[in-house]
Amino acid sequence: MPYGRYIRKYWKSFLLAILFVTIEAGADLMMPTLLANIIDEGIAEKDMNHVLQMGGLMLLITAMGAVAASIRNVVASHVSQKFGAELRSDLFAKIQSLSFDSMNQFDRGSLITRLTNDVTLVQNFLNGMMRIFVKAPIIGIGALIMAIRLNWNLSIILLVIVPIVIVLVALNIRIGFSRFMNVQKSLDKVNATVREYLSGVRVVKAFNRFDYEEERFEKSNEEQRARSTNAMRAMSIFNPAIMLTVNFGIVTVLWLGGRWLNADLLPVGHLVAFVNYMTQILFALMMLTMVFTMFIRAKASAQRVGEVFKQENGMTWREEGEWGGETGGSAGAKGSIGSIEFRNVTFSYGGEQGSPAVDDATFACRPGETIGIVGSTGSGKSSLVELIPRFYDADSGEIRVGHTDIRELDPSALRERIAIVPQQTMLFTGSIMDNIRWGKEDATDEEVVEAAKLAEAHEFIQRLPEDYQSLLGQRGVNLSGGQKQRISIARALIRRPDILILDDCTSAVDMVTEARIKSALKTYAQGMTCLLIAQRITSVMDTDNIIVMDQGKIVDKGTHDELLERCQVYQEIYRSQIGKELKTDVV
Amino acid sequence: MLRLWRYFGSERKRLILIFAFVIATSLLAVAAPYLIGSAIDAMSAADDGGVDFGLLEIILLVLVAAYVSEGVLSFLQSWLMAGLSQRVVKQLRGSLFGKLQKLPLRFFDSRSHGELMSRVTNDIDNVSNTVSQSTVQLMSGFIGIVGSLIMMLVLSPLLTLATLITVPLVYLLAKFVTSRTGVLFKEQQAQLGKLNGHIEETITGLQVVKAFNHEAKSIQQFEEVNGKLLQVSLKAQIWSGFLMPLLGVINNIGIATIAIVGGVMAVNGHLSVGLIASFVGYSRQFVRPLNEMAQIYNVLLSGVAGAERVFEVLDEKEEEPDAPGAIVLSNPKGHVVFENVNFGYRQDVPILNNVSFDSPKESSTALVGPTGAGKTTIVNLLTRFYDVTGGRILIDGRDIRDYTRESLRLCFGIVLQDTYLFSGTIRDNILYGKPDATEEEMLQASRMANADAFIRRLPQGYGTELTENGGNLSQGQRQLLAIARVILAKPSILILDEATSSIDTRTELHIQEALLKVMKGRTTFIIAHRLNTIRDADAIMVIDRGKLQEKGTHDALMERRGVYYGMFDQQFKNVQT
Repeated sequence: MPYGRYIRKYWKSFLLAILFVTIEAGADLMMPTLLANIIDEGIAEKDMNHVLQMGGLMLLITAMGAVAASIRNVVASHVSQKFGAELRSDLFAKIQSLSFDSMNQFDRGSLITRLTNDVTLVQNFLNGMMRIFVKAPIIGIGALIMAIRLNWNLSIILLVIVPIVIVLVALNIRIGFSRFMNVQKSLDKVNATVREYLSGVRVVKAFNRFDYEEERFEKSNEEQRARSTNAMRAMSIFNPAIMLTVNFGIVTVLWLGGRWLNADLLPVGHLVAFVNYMTQILFALMMLTMVFTMFIRAKASAQRVGEVFKQENGMTWREEGEWGGETGGSAGAKGSIGSIEFRNVTFSYGGEQGSPAVDDATFACRPGETIGIVGSTGSGKSSLVELIPRFYDADSGEIRVGHTDIRELDPSALRERIAIVPQQTMLFTGSIMDNIRWGKEDATDEEVVEAAKLAEAHEFIQRLPEDYQSLLGQRGVNLSGGQKQRISIARALIRRPDILILDDCTSAVDMVTEARIKSALKTYAQGMTCLLIAQRITSVMDTDNIIVMDQGKIVDKGTHDELLERCQVYQEIYRSQIGKELKTDVV
Repeated sequence: MLRLWRYFGSERKRLILIFAFVIATSLLAVAAPYLIGSAIDAMSAADDGGVDFGLLEIILLVLVAAYVSEGVLSFLQSWLMAGLSQRVVKQLRGSLFGKLQKLPLRFFDSRSHGELMSRVTNDIDNVSNTVSQSTVQLMSGFIGIVGSLIMMLVLSPLLTLATLITVPLVYLLAKFVTSRTGVLFKEQQAQLGKLNGHIEETITGLQVVKAFNHEAKSIQQFEEVNGKLLQVSLKAQIWSGFLMPLLGVINNIGIATIAIVGGVMAVNGHLSVGLIASFVGYSRQFVRPLNEMAQIYNVLLSGVAGAERVFEVLDEKEEEPDAPGAIVLSNPKGHVVFENVNFGYRQDVPILNNVSFDSPKESSTALVGPTGAGKTTIVNLLTRFYDVTGGRILIDGRDIRDYTRESLRLCFGIVLQDTYLFSGTIRDNILYGKPDATEEEMLQASRMANADAFIRRLPQGYGTELTENGGNLSQGQRQLLAIARVILAKPSILILDEATSSIDTRTELHIQEALLKVMKGRTTFIIAHRLNTIRDADAIMVIDRGKLQEKGTHDALMERRGVYYGMFDQQFKNVQT
């Protein structure tokens, strides 16, 4: 039960709020009885003093109700708002702690809605619960009890009315629930359509497919309309029905009351009070149906939030799991950390059943080595390197970094030593300076500039109107793909990691710039283990070792010359890109 | 709010009918307490002070009739309202989406998707709640207040006066509270927006966040904004929360006042007991709508705020409409001319500077140059995603602004740097380029793009459902689909913007064969960093810092030993070392 800890934390305040709601409701409930008292004992007996006394008492009780309501308001607001804030931040932290494996079960858009809308809905419901939702039943039941106490005979009518109303409310909830759930689902669909349109707007415009998009949207929009209308119409019968039932009760009370009054079985004040209580019951019931739609939405939201909390982070590590191995040294022994070893590693995204993205991979690299990885699209290059910082855990086999099995290492300690430049560049809102400093929070301005220079980004940054302070993201400067990639490289370099992973991160950078980055790296990355994924052989041909991948398998490894001699896949790749250029210049 | 009214358009007649029902039910509801009071009075109306059963029966029959018609009418009213409000909301949502279709790319480039999303979804949702719940409630509340007031005045002006002491109290209280909550709610929305922005960014870039061990810092940033949000929303809640219980209390004060004043008057014989009973009923009906309004206050506020945010988008400047008398570009030949074109995404940062060139029909032109030189911008201008700030672009001898946008874009086929696939099957995605293509044409295009082989290997083949943006395919496979999509569309001008940058070179070779076939008889623009992919182009244009530096065939440029030569040399050196 993901909400257990909040219950433990807030149940006292929650009960306090409920207590004050009860007092508040109690004050409301006293009114008709006091009124009956005034009529029967004050007015009927012409006792002015009694009228004033009781009237004063009414005002006093009212004042008490006001105080209770105010306290309840403060307590309830605190509970609900703090709960909401906490839930939101716990959920945020939870998502951050999830492994990619568990996270891939949700699409990113839905995670975002869960964090924003769903949490707010649950929070609003909780707040409402401590206000009207609890008050309504208390008043309803309280009014029932007071009515029975006031006059037993008249209560027989309630005996008939109440069960009918209960049946109506139950029916209402049963019929409504599934319908409103459907409304929620169709709303999700509308949102998905819009999200997709927004992400693909360039393609839609390029292909002029507005009609198609419009049609798709119209379909989901229409479905949403039909379902909401349907749900609301199903509900529209119940409110009048409940109202009518209670109102018939009132008529009956008046009718029977008249007879009993005539027979002197009933004081007239009781009759007035009884009618009053019945109206209170009616209002309470109507409130309940109003609450109901909110309840459905909140329940669905709570479920969606709970689903995320239920995800377990499958990754484990030994607390004492330090960089051990043969050196037995701690993190200080830099040289030993850079070694990477894969032993028969197999991994697939769909778990054991899925077709493997990495199939029985075995290789080793010494600290300070630079390894190139080449292979065709979808051959598993990215999957291979994503295993090293434990984005995913291998299904079988063993990966050792610095002679330690990484499954024994805390992922965050491991990632401390690794810098990765992902294939798809992701920069964050903020200045360029902030973005580069992401890699090393305490970096000085000079370090940032140095990293930018190494990544060949310094020059274009300086040309921007606000150079390093230029803002990225919304309403910020418009950087080209290659420029973003270079900032992303600078962000990794400033970290001075033991292991540097470059995942085809210069695809949008022109050749000249790429060559300059590479030569800068050569001096900078001395002693750094470097994994270089590339499409182009030119990018990797001067590395110490090249791994050639095909369909998840490592087909060969060796230096450029060795591979050129013996590896067929490598030869094919080589011919496909280099042969041509060499030829012309030789000619 | 007034603008919202326009969306009721053709529904206005129905709305008037609904309001007629609302008025009727409200009036019936107003009548009930009076009838109850008369019934109670009838109990002592007989000559002997006993119950006048004849009168009581008549009154009760009228009461039953009133209740029944109230029930029926309120059912009809909510039934109609359900249909109407949802139609209005649908229309509003539809027009917002329609608007999104007409906005220029600049709009989308400068806004986060999350924020736009929340306008189409949350904000419309808020408006929907307001329309479906609040309008009726407001209406019936208003009638309830006025009706009760009139009835009270008729019954006993003096007692009414006593009851009305509460009105100034309600007014002052409401004014005091709303003046505070208004500001607080606005602030709350702002903080929430900020928080959502942070959430969206972090989750989208989670891989980077994790790779750099930034979880703690990101959580800390989150906590900061979340803390501020808590402070503001707590205040907003408390203040708005005071409104309702206090109104309840005022309601009770009203009843107490009626009891005291009425009691005194009744003792003196100025007033009947039944009248007091009616009065209590009226005072409740008088305050209850206020109470309800306090409850729907939040809904109402967020509804208004939501409507404002929706209208903000609706007010955005659309893609400039086609010039009057714009002509349809039919059977385009594909002759492209740039004349002294200037452009910058921002006024202070010029991207293109006086660029001129002429690409005859069926020629191929390659654009090369360092990143950020303005290559993609040229494509953006050609397709009118953006309009030039100076100079002009001609296709087949006419300024592209003279053509209708639709016909202009139909003559382009673009394979972009970042592909975008839609959820749906692979077949749907390829057909996106030409919805009425036959299965055979579709398969042919797919084979031409070398996508057929990998698609057939998938368990469901062409029927494979893609997840959002084709997450279940590799980047290269996605690109192959995008290329198939363009091949199917058979455009007269083909634009390849780094189309093969993430496809491995062996596959690229196959694709290039295919592309060569497609390029035949078409004007083609190729943007590429890797010079080997563009050597056969009819003309190579080197662009740097927004200027056209060199232009010519590969051989001519090599001979010139200029910028291109340098670039090529660099690449060649790379190969050698």
